Amino acid sequence: MVIERGSNGVNPDVDDAFLVQRAQEGYLDAFTELVNRHGKLAYRVALRLLGNHHDAEDVAQEALVAAWQQLPRFKAESNFSTWLYRIVTRRALNRMTRTKPTDSTDLLDELDEDKANGPALSAERNQAIDAVTQAVTALPPAQRIVVVLYHFEGLRYEDIARVADSTVPAVRSHLFRARRTLTQMLDEWR
Amino acid sequence: MADSEFSLQRMLRDAELPCGADPDELLQQAADGRGDELNAHQAECVHCQAALRELTRIWDPVRAKAAEPVTVPAALRMAVADQVRKLVSDVWYTLQLTDGGAIRIAARVVANLARSAARTVPGVRVAFGRSSESRAAGLAEKATLGHLHPHAAVGVLGRTAVVDLALAVQYGDAVDDIAREVQRRVISELEDSVGLMSVTVNVTVDDILT
Repeated sequence: MVIERGSNGVNPDVDDAFLVQRAQEGYLDAFTELVNRHGKLAYRVALRLLGNHHDAEDVAQEALVAAWQQLPRFKAESNFSTWLYRIVTRRALNRMTRTKPTDSTDLLDELDEDKANGPALSAERNQAIDAVTQAVTALPPAQRIVVVLYHFEGLRYEDIARVADSTVPAVRSHLFRARRTLTQMLDEWR
Repeated sequence: MADSEFSLQRMLRDAELPCGADPDELLQQAADGRGDELNAHQAECVHCQAALRELTRIWDPVRAKAAEPVTVPAALRMAVADQVRKLVSDVWYTLQLTDGGAIRIAARVVANLARSAARTVPGVRVAFGRSSESRAAGLAEKATLGHLHPHAAVGVLGRTAVVDLALAVQYGDAVDDIAREVQRRVISELEDSVGLMSVTVNVTVDDILT
């Protein structure tokens, strides 16, 4: 029987929970396989939140290494990709706001949007790659996070709330505002 | 401006359209790519139709951007692997003293070879070799004494090694036979390729995959 193997020699039908359990026991190659599977997610979300490849690569790398370090605290009932979304989003947020990392507070609640919006509006700093990226990265951080996770990553409200340590009504509210802001920006820039 | 004429800015400013429709709901509908899925009211309403057309036009590039594939830099995976390896306190090496000097082979290399050899055995679906971890201090010494440390992975000292392998095997195969074949191949591989003289391989089969 020919068994298809992943890039690290692990069968694709081996689920994440199995790999996480092994990685938590210290099997480094199990973690390497998780990176093979989810490294793309980490980079993609970082790129969409930050708008440039250099910062995205840095943040994705930081997040994946942090995932290894925090793995002992990962709860088996959680979903690894949701957990990774959370780490990447938090790291990207730190990069956006240039603030020191904070512990589990509501990402969507703690931001002073006016203050955060100022530097984010600079197209030069964000090195935007096109009009949509430019518009998304000009959104205040909380709105940017919900737009990227909902409209780009296709996450549900409940998952976004979990990623951001927030609530579904807060996610919905930020999303309404983000859509309006983005619509106005894209309309003005046409 | 006629009532049917659409103004985006006006729509976003007002709480509702002249027909009473909620602008945010129309915006969500267009942003989700459902601008052409008209309900009974929208099918008859020029305000809603104009709004949905305009909003869809504005949001089309956003949805196109979201569908654009993202290429991950090739160096990312390696960079992460390098950093994680540095975090792992893997200080143990095999040691051979030759006329030309000392040859050291890291325990994790031994673990990787063992894992690769295990995966060549038919019926083995997954094999992981623990190479190192922070709690592995003193492991090599214990391993060479034949002491089965509960967290033992690969203990190497001199030309002796103890390897722990965790396996998942194919359902339907003889588990015991697979485990013995894994031991045989791993021992053979480590003796041949690393030059180890005494190799012990502990095999744990802890999952069966269908």
